[in-house]
Amino acid sequence: MFVNRFIKTYLIIASFAMSQSIFNGYGLGLSRTSFHSSVNGAGSIGLVPSFHPGVSMDNTATWPGLNFTYISGSFSNQANGTKNTSVVNQAARFNKLQFVIPIRERYGLGLSVKPLNNHNSFFTTDTMAFNFDGKDIFSRKEFRSGGGIMEASLGLALPLNSRMGLGISINHLFGSSRDEQSAIINNTYYRMFNLRTYTGSTFDFDFAGQLYNNNNLSISTFARVGLTNKPVSGKLYKFNFYEDSNNSYSFDTDDYPGDLVVDTTSISNIYSPNSFSFGLNVGFKNDLNIFSEFQMWNDEATNTNYASIFNDQIGSKFHFGGGMIRFGNLNARAWQDQITFRLGAYQDKYSLRYSGNSLIENGISIGFGFKFATTGNQIDFSFRNGTRSITEGQKELFKEITIGVSLGDMWFLRRRAKQ
Amino acid sequence: MDNNFKKLFIYSFMGIISFSACDEAAIPLDSNNTPLSIDTVSFPIINTVSYQVPPDIGLHEFLYFGKKEEFNFLYNLVRFSNIDSTNIYTFDFYNDSLIIADSMKLIMSFDLDSIEQNVDFQLRYFPGGGDSVFNELTTNYTNFNQLSASSIISSSIMSVDSIDSVTTQVRLNFLMDTTIINVFKDTSFTSFNSSFLVELKTENSSEFKLFSSNNLSNPPKLRVYYRKLLSDSVALDTSFHTYYSSQDVSIIDKPNITTDDSTYLSVGLAKGIRSVLMVDMKGWELPKRSIISSADLVYDRVKNDTLIGYSVSSYPLMNQADFSNFNIYDNDPYDVESNYLSSAPIINNQLKINYRKISTEFGRGGKVNYGFKIQSSPSSDPFKTIQFHNLNSNISYPLLRVIYVRQ
Repeated sequence: MFVNRFIKTYLIIASFAMSQSIFNGYGLGLSRTSFHSSVNGAGSIGLVPSFHPGVSMDNTATWPGLNFTYISGSFSNQANGTKNTSVVNQAARFNKLQFVIPIRERYGLGLSVKPLNNHNSFFTTDTMAFNFDGKDIFSRKEFRSGGGIMEASLGLALPLNSRMGLGISINHLFGSSRDEQSAIINNTYYRMFNLRTYTGSTFDFDFAGQLYNNNNLSISTFARVGLTNKPVSGKLYKFNFYEDSNNSYSFDTDDYPGDLVVDTTSISNIYSPNSFSFGLNVGFKNDLNIFSEFQMWNDEATNTNYASIFNDQIGSKFHFGGGMIRFGNLNARAWQDQITFRLGAYQDKYSLRYSGNSLIENGISIGFGFKFATTGNQIDFSFRNGTRSITEGQKELFKEITIGVSLGDMWFLRRRAKQ
Repeated sequence: MDNNFKKLFIYSFMGIISFSACDEAAIPLDSNNTPLSIDTVSFPIINTVSYQVPPDIGLHEFLYFGKKEEFNFLYNLVRFSNIDSTNIYTFDFYNDSLIIADSMKLIMSFDLDSIEQNVDFQLRYFPGGGDSVFNELTTNYTNFNQLSASSIISSSIMSVDSIDSVTTQVRLNFLMDTTIINVFKDTSFTSFNSSFLVELKTENSSEFKLFSSNNLSNPPKLRVYYRKLLSDSVALDTSFHTYYSSQDVSIIDKPNITTDDSTYLSVGLAKGIRSVLMVDMKGWELPKRSIISSADLVYDRVKNDTLIGYSVSSYPLMNQADFSNFNIYDNDPYDVESNYLSSAPIINNQLKINYRKISTEFGRGGKVNYGFKIQSSPSSDPFKTIQFHNLNSNISYPLLRVIYVRQ
């Protein structure tokens, strides 16, 4: 019964919640600040514990606090609606796939794959009519983009002392993106493609430390320094225009001209993120936590020759947010006490590199986590609702539902000695 | 993991996959500050002239005898393939000592099913013509000597032949004896010209219209009747092989040119009228990665009568044209870039030819603009001469209008 109810509920939710933002048309698009569904639920950037007391799945330094080895996946559906229009669009994607092994409560090792940015967009302009030597010409434009940079990470958690831990992540950036720009003249599409491949690497240094602890109160700080090792470079494949005579969305023998010319060029230093993040968590009795975080993120790429739909790029970001988390207790008798509850609010302020305009995202989030089975399996749900607006520009509303499933097992844990 | 959880995981995963697809609605944008623009440019025509070459009707579907409108037909030339309809037997097949070729028949079909006026036709061939005596694309009254043909080898009147129990067809049947077959099967030439000259016995002012080799259902046929010997005294019944016409052309006497033909921008196959024009595209560059949506040159017809199924072909010139006067040439002096053929039908007395392929080359500097040649398409009525307004017209004149998309 539970399974059936879950499926129905999930499918209903998923069918309504889903997306692409108008702001994905700037450079490489919006970069996510949170990936795991437990982090999303708190509106966090992943520094402070949100998955389990003392543990954030996005903070390598906290992994030794896990009781079990976890395979975890997070999936989100986001719906974006542009204010003043009736247009709502949807997109769904995996946020993160992760495998984390805590080793003897002191170390941790993990692998993860996640999309760093969201390049998914689809724009159209109004139809314009003009007369050319007595003939009416109707034209409009369409722009689509998708794909982006993925990050594969190997993370290692090490103890500094009994109250502090350090996490190091080596991140390989890879992937590809494409954008299609079309002009439509009297219902005939003239399409042009650009394909880009990406490769690069970054490091993240995470820190977790307990500053104060007694039975009633604990105070912990968390920090992350993100550095670029090899700025993202790759290949840019620029295809010439073709007339999609049969509107098949791909170049074929019916199309004009007969062959499609492509220029291949190397592109370097197009994405070079560096960041500093800091978080403070205050834990009270009954597993209630209050936290606050901020992040300064900066793309120090020097290659300005990255063409995107809008002639601008996101150059920096400042995040500030806070919230509360009450962790559930797996051993509690009442099922309500087994639920982890998360609540948060945040603001991301993006600065565009060339125009200097600011893009402000305000959001609130709420999330729940359900633990079940003896190995600490957990399902996390989160919902985010917010707005994005740009100086003298469009404003959009977004809603995002994220679902994460984490399956626990016992690997490298201290076993009780046989009596 | 218990069974319930496994089910939960599997169903959840399937649900996630099911909803992974995007449902995208386009976000409306202000067109300003977005990439791509649609630009237009018009190029004036700065020179036009018509000229005449010999008639050009070798690819027409019919052969003509007699007189049609203002055109006099002198004779017709027909050449046959040296391999038969089974794609096996060449003429030297009949050199086999066990094969006896008895007779040969040239069959030509009229575009008629009954005879209104019967006349005599006669046949000649070219025993001394070697491999080839004519080319349907280039042979005309200026370059073919009728005297190179033999004396008359056969004659025929029009006859109504039954094709099947319900269909009849008016045909010419020229019978030939072994004398002719012996020439055809002679191996002195690798490929004998296998050609005939067909003419009216006496001059006639009526029009006689027959199917040519360009009509796939009723092309001229050459049928060789033979017997195969099984032994010195036993022969199989008479059989035949059929050879189809590979080339044919009606030779038209020199056509007259009217004032309209030389004054306007004219085209016509039977008159051999063609035109050249120069578009001033000097200095224009097509931006990199751009695509031309259309490069239409619109020609307005002088006459307003109904015209159906008439097409005009156009090519870019490969050399400078002489725009000074209407000239008559024995051979067309203007070579063309045949890969850049553009053609279009005349609709509502307006011809609109899209030159975007060659205009792209001009705009990118890949080709030099020497102008364009226009001529009637082979499928058009060869006896119709069409006049378009040119630079001298005060009503309208051709103009090249280009619409292109740029990055």
